[in-house]
Amino acid sequence: MFEQYLSLTHYDIFFFLKAIGMTLWITLVSITIGTLIGIVMGLIRCSKNRIVAAIPLIYIEPLRNSPLVTQLFLTYYGLPVVANIVLDAEAAAIITLSLNTGAFFSVLVHSAVKAIPKLQWEAGFALGHNRYSNFRNIIAPQVLRLLIPSAITLYINQLQVSSFVSLISLIDLTKAGHILTLRTMRPFLIYGIVFVLYFAISYPLSKLAQRLEKKVAFNF
Amino acid sequence: MAMIEVRNITKAFGNLVVLKNFSVDFDQSGVTVILGPSGTGKSTLLRCINGLETIDSGDILVDGLSVREKKNLKDIRIKCGMVFQQTILFPHLDVLENLVISPIKILGRPRNEAIEQAKELLNKVGLIDKLHSKHNELSGGEQQRIAIARAMMMNPKALLLDEITSALDPEMSTEVLKIIEKLAQDGVVMLIVTHEIPFARRIASRVLFLEYGSVVSDTSNEEFFTTVKEDNERIARFIQNIHH
Repeated sequence: MFEQYLSLTHYDIFFFLKAIGMTLWITLVSITIGTLIGIVMGLIRCSKNRIVAAIPLIYIEPLRNSPLVTQLFLTYYGLPVVANIVLDAEAAAIITLSLNTGAFFSVLVHSAVKAIPKLQWEAGFALGHNRYSNFRNIIAPQVLRLLIPSAITLYINQLQVSSFVSLISLIDLTKAGHILTLRTMRPFLIYGIVFVLYFAISYPLSKLAQRLEKKVAFNF
Repeated sequence: MAMIEVRNITKAFGNLVVLKNFSVDFDQSGVTVILGPSGTGKSTLLRCINGLETIDSGDILVDGLSVREKKNLKDIRIKCGMVFQQTILFPHLDVLENLVISPIKILGRPRNEAIEQAKELLNKVGLIDKLHSKHNELSGGEQQRIAIARAMMMNPKALLLDEITSALDPEMSTEVLKIIEKLAQDGVVMLIVTHEIPFARRIASRVLFLEYGSVVSDTSNEEFFTTVKEDNERIARFIQNIHH
């Protein structure tokens, strides 16, 4: 029964490892950049000035309400045509996934800040904190605690949707599975391995999110 | 010069005028209890003094500093500590950190010194054993006593207490009122909005009665609970209704 596993060569295993590296690289870089974009955009969304608060929506809404694969094709195939910007597949994947992560992360930041009761702000002001000190010392630590579990869930999701980069010829885990399937003609075996590898990365992260959620939880 | 001078202020929320051409002075001594029906502007007055609400006209001076000047707000808030009706501890911090964070960050006090003061105050409010508890491990009364200690950590010249027992059951309420009485005996200047008439009678040196955003009566404790109460039908009815 297990003979078919043994039919994979060392080269195939090396090929898979390289592909996992690419998937992790693309995901880590894009969630890092996306988180930074999301923090900035999310905080602008919290502005008291309605016009300023609405500006990030121009970026957020189109990215939240269109398929990632379309965004990826626009960057990789569309930009060279309209703006003569030619990106290699890796750059196109990182840019698209970063912007996509940023859009979703900004919503998380905005919701977390809004979830802090007005009274928490007032209690800080009443003790003499100005707006910056209040945010830095009292509000931000609470926002962070609310944010961590949902941020991890978003990161897991971004890891999974990173598989779309295989559609622009980048050899990530999914693309590696596709290539090896064509070579071995054993789709169940190869995609089974791809499935297990994604699961092996995502599941511990999902458990970590659950644990953190319990650890940092508090009621107002 | 009075410590707090409220000069002809008006404060409205939309079309609802809560305080109208309102003036009153508070000296740097004693306990002033502010009584009156709900919605009459008592809490709004305290929030205006602390700069949490902006006033529409007039001015409030705290130790000569105008609340209309944004740059004065930090000093005003340090001089006038405020405790709210709802217990508002910072949920991500334990009791000790709730107490020391502001003196360290705002006043630049050394951490060790702030911790010593926090322990003294927790002793005073009878909660030294709760030093490392989180807010959800404390009863409402305990949280309110810690909120009082937290306000005292800034060494304010006056404490503004806004119906701090109204969300508590009678037993917890008694715990908190005992602490306030103790602070009053220690000479802490306080402006207290409350509906606890027996408590007001015990503690107040001055009683202010507000209705429709204006001062109906401003007298000493003794005068209020004898002459004014007898002579003013509205006040007599208010006190009677509260008792029942």
